[in-house]
Order: sequence, then C-alpha cells, then structure tokens
Amino acid sequence: MKKLVALFLTLSLMVVTLAGCSTGTEESSTSGSTSGESNTSAQTDGKTITLGLTAPITGTHAEYGVGFQAAVEIAMDEINNAGGVNGYNLAVEVMDSKGEPKETSDIVRQFAENDNIQAIIGDFTSSCSMAAAPIVDEAGIVLLSPTASNPDYPGMSDYTFTVMNNQSTEAPWFARAVVGQYIGAKSVAVMWLNTDWGIATHQYLLQGFEEAGITVVADESYAENETDFSSVISKLKSTDPECVVILDQGNVPTVINQIRGTGWDVQLATLGPGSSEQLIQLCGENAEGLIVDTPSFLTPENEEAVPFIDAFKEKTGYAPTDHSLCAYNSVYLLAESIKAIGDGEITREAIKDNLKTAQMDGLAGHVEFNEEGGCSRELLILQVENGKYVVKEDYGYGVE
Amino acid sequence: MEYIINQFVNGICQGFIYALMAVGYSVIVGVVGFVTFTHGEVIVFGAFASFYIFLLCGNNLLLGVIGSFAASWLIGIFVYKICYERFFHAPRHIALICTIGVSMLLKNIAQIIFGPNKKPMLNIIKNKIYSFGIVEISKVQIVIILTVIILSALLFIIFMKTRWGISLRAVSQDKTAAAMMGINVKQTAMIGNCMGSGLAGVAGLLIAINYQTVYATMGSNLSIKAFAAAVLGGLTSVPLAALGGILIGIIENMGITFTSASLRDIFTFVFLIIILIFKPQGFSKKKGVRP
Repeated sequence: MKKLVALFLTLSLMVVTLAGCSTGTEESSTSGSTSGESNTSAQTDGKTITLGLTAPITGTHAEYGVGFQAAVEIAMDEINNAGGVNGYNLAVEVMDSKGEPKETSDIVRQFAENDNIQAIIGDFTSSCSMAAAPIVDEAGIVLLSPTASNPDYPGMSDYTFTVMNNQSTEAPWFARAVVGQYIGAKSVAVMWLNTDWGIATHQYLLQGFEEAGITVVADESYAENETDFSSVISKLKSTDPECVVILDQGNVPTVINQIRGTGWDVQLATLGPGSSEQLIQLCGENAEGLIVDTPSFLTPENEEAVPFIDAFKEKTGYAPTDHSLCAYNSVYLLAESIKAIGDGEITREAIKDNLKTAQMDGLAGHVEFNEEGGCSRELLILQVENGKYVVKEDYGYGVE
Repeated sequence: MEYIINQFVNGICQGFIYALMAVGYSVIVGVVGFVTFTHGEVIVFGAFASFYIFLLCGNNLLLGVIGSFAASWLIGIFVYKICYERFFHAPRHIALICTIGVSMLLKNIAQIIFGPNKKPMLNIIKNKIYSFGIVEISKVQIVIILTVIILSALLFIIFMKTRWGISLRAVSQDKTAAAMMGINVKQTAMIGNCMGSGLAGVAGLLIAINYQTVYATMGSNLSIKAFAAAVLGGLTSVPLAALGGILIGIIENMGITFTSASLRDIFTFVFLIIILIFKPQGFSKKKGVRP
C-alpha cells in the first residue's frame, strides 16, 4: 500500500513537473499549422523565418506576457494567411522570462546562439530589455521590445528598438496636460515603482511638474514585489494632495484598492497600465473616476480594431491593451523590414538595417522609429465611468 | 503625530498577519523538527481556497476561514509525505532541500491551476473606518486582529488542554522519549505540520482580504517574513514567534514612515541581524535549537 502511494505521488509529481515545463517553453503551434495550410494556397515554398519571443508568460506581469504571445501569434497568422513575406512564412519560438532580467539575458543568449532565430521580440519591462541589450549588441541580432519605454534603452545598441513611447516625451506630457490641464491639480503626490522604468519615468514626471508649476507634496517609491501599501498611503494621505499619480503597471490595482480601503477619496491618475481591462476587473467600484492615458484605445466601437480584439479574446479570454497591440505591431514592423530586403539574403544584419526605416499605419496610428530606435506617439486621455473606460480627450490634447 | 499613530496601527495590523504566519511556522518547526520553505506556497493555496469559497458561497468569513484552513491542511499532508516522513533519520539538509523543491513545485502548480493573473477579492468585509480620537482603524484591520487573536487562543487551548496537545508537545520535546511513551510520532508530527499549514492558510485568507487581491506568486516574499519572525522567536516558541511577527510589522512600518517603502525589507532583516548578533537564540531563553 505504501509503495503504491509512493508510486502515485512520484507519478503525479512527474506529470505536474512536465506540465510546468511545457508552459515555460513552448513553440507556438498555431503559426506552425497555419503556415502548413498557407503553403498550398500561397506562393511560399515552405521556407520559414523564425523569430524569438521573450516575454513574462508567468509572474507579476503575466497578463502582458500572455498578451504578447497571443498578439504575436495573431499577427503571424494574418501575415502567413496573406501569403507570407517575400515567400517566407513567419514562425515564433516563445520563452518565458518570468519578468526577471536574469532570465531574459539567458533566453536572449540562447536565441542569439540559435542560427534559426533571425530577430527577437521582447521583453516586456525596460529592466529585462536593458539587461539583454549588451548581449544582442555583441551577437548582432535585433531586439525589438514592444513596450520598453526607458529612454536609455533604444540608444544602448544599434540593435535595440522599441515600439513604445519614450518616457521622456510621455511623462512630461502627462504631468502638464493630464494632471495640470485636464485634472487641474495644483498639488500632487507621486507613488512610483523602484525599477529602471520607474526611476526614469519618475524623473521626467517631476521635471514636467516643475515646468507646469505643480507642487509635489509627497514622493514615495516602493520595491517591485511590494504587497502592502498601507504605510505609503498613510504617508501620502497626511500631506493631503489634490491628486495622486501612480507610476506602475502590475501593482496599480492593488494600490488603488488599498487607497480606497482606507476610505480616502482622492483623485487618482496612473501612468503605466494604459487601458487595462484587468484593472477594472480587479478594482471594481474602486476604479471609478481613475484617469489614465493610452496611445491606443481598443473598444468594440472602433470597427478596425474588432478582428484583433476578437482574435485576442479567443486566445486569452480577456480584452487586449495597447501593450499587446505593440507586440502585434512589432511583428508587422519586422515583416516590413524583411519585405524591404527584397531578393537579398535574409540575415540578422539586413533585418536591422531595414528595420530603421520600416514604418506602418495601423490601429495605433502611424508608427516609425526615430534615429536611436525609439518611438514617439500621441496619446488619449481616458477616465473610468460606470466600470468602463471613456475617451475624454482625443489625440493631440495639450500639445504645445 | 496623528500620522505616526496611524502608521503604528498599520504596523500592528500587518504584524498580526506576520504573527499568524510565524505561529504556524514555529508549530511546524517545533513539532516536525525541520525548517520549511513551503510556507509561502501553503499561504497561497489557503488564500485561493477562500477565494473560490467566496466566489461560490458568497462572502461568509467563517466558511472562508474553515475552507482555507482545510485546504492548507491537505497541502500540509502532501508536504509532510514528500519532505519529512522518510527523512527523520537522514541529515537535516535533505528535508530542507526537499522543501525548497516542493515549494517550487507548488508555486508552479498554483500558476497552472489558478492562472498567472491577479484575482480580485473585493468587499469581502464591507469596509468602514472607525475613529477613536486621533486613531483611525478600518473594519478589515479589526477583523484581522480579532481572527488572529481567536486562532492563537484556540491553538493555545489545544496545546495545553487536550490529549493531542500533550502528544504534540511531547513529540516536540523529544521524539524518542515520546515514542517510548506510546505516542505515534509520525502521525503526531504530521498533525503538527498540518496545523501549522492550516494557520498559514488562514493567514493567506487575511492577506487576500486586506489587499483585496490574490495571485499565485504572492507567497515567496511572505514566506521569508514568516521565517524571520519565527527566527526572532527562537524558531520553536509559538508565543515568541508571534511577538517577533508583530515587532517586524511595526518596525517595517515605522521605518517606512521616516524613510522610503523601497527599503521595507531592509528594516526587517537589519532588525533580525541586530537581534541575532546580541541574542543568537532569538527572544527565547534556551541556548540553541533542539535537534
């Protein structure tokens, strides 16, 4: 009997461990199968270009990592079904960085050593992407991050690119246009996440407040794995600001819930999560009145966005945010770059050279890279009303 | 002044949660005799059990507490069977490494079963703020403190007044002697492990209610705090571990009051190190830890 129990436990252990592995590293089967179908219909001769994707499939930022994977697969399916790029099909190899820079470096090194991988998409956070920058620089392979918005990142190497707005333009705009002009606050308290992204954004935000003549009455940072914000909140509360700005992504819902939990009814604005659907789910009534900014707004009312939203919801079960759209655009930009190579040989170097001039018009408006490999986009202001995001100000608000 | 007092209240509330985790921890270490690293994951399973109970049966706190206790009890059996049962006579580090492995396993199982996303636990207790003069305390904080006090009292009664408690204390003091007195040591050790895990599960429930969110990876940080609090109490003393937990909560929050929240963990561990330099046995009078 004891032996049987031991055997059962060992087996279940093995099964679970194997299952764990399969979520960690998985080769996307969808793009593989669709590429098989389109082989017959289009003029492709079965050649495949494989891109690497490093994203936080598990961990604090899992919502976004899973979104990356889904968005990349959707974009590849679309491209492959339309006949591929220059006779090539696209495929992706996904690896889970768990949102940790050391994992990203390992993954990027593995991709760089794998001759089948022509370019890398990822990672989600600036910290992860910046950790990988020296590696891609040495290996000579493109690292196109959909969302890294630390202003230092794109300039770190010729091979580093990002589709997300640079915080050096977004944060000062947020301070001046959103907090100063739209909310009309004279005093503000800032809570910020102590990471590469947070430090850089925070610095630009403070500059913005200073230029706009807004007083920062409290300025508090916290570590990334923080769960209890009550002491920070008490601290902010004691300074009685007109508006609280939260600089974070994954922790925003927890922070908002805890602020409302202390019975504090202050105007909240957040820079980072964009129009995240999960935020409203996690905050419920607590999210009412929250102000966010976002470079693109994906709702069913926007007809162009419907196919993408539907496909995304089918894969993940929740609605996409701008972050996922950026991952989707990353694939198209790489496809543009491959297209521009034309009949030439597809090499990592050629992809990099052509990516610099690649551009596209899509759901997020016009996207092209600046000299460093960064991006700058106009933004929308949204507010939560009755459990939904409502567009309050259109593109171009508060532009000087 | 008002602000400092409110920070103190925050600290006490957080300290009570740490205390409950630490109490569970020291029961496990005391009765089983091994250090565990699965505590954080047990906390997560307890929190998720209550999440599903609240989802299915409505916001019944008592049911939630029982459910999270029971779920963590089961995880406790699993951990005991894998990590401890066969290693009582093996070198101590084997069980320790085994718990580290099981902790990774449980964390990944939790992500597979519950998904990687955060889940909301909104308004389990209708929130209300009570003011006593300049002190403000929320209903959630009162519920947390009361739950911890009631559970600790129950644990004390079980330990001191029941046959089970006598066996548990006997096993905790000397396994060989307890076996000679006719106590089933393995079974008693398992019950001790399960009780400690159950308390951790309830701590998970309280954390989830306090933060209004629950997610699969929230355990690792908490496990270290529970460990620190238990070490302060000398690892095996239940009341001193509770004291350690409350002190850590207060010191963290007072530290944040005067500096930054980024330094939260620094306060905990610097405090731990200072205490250990001057009193290596923690707050307990005993020198060293029983084998």
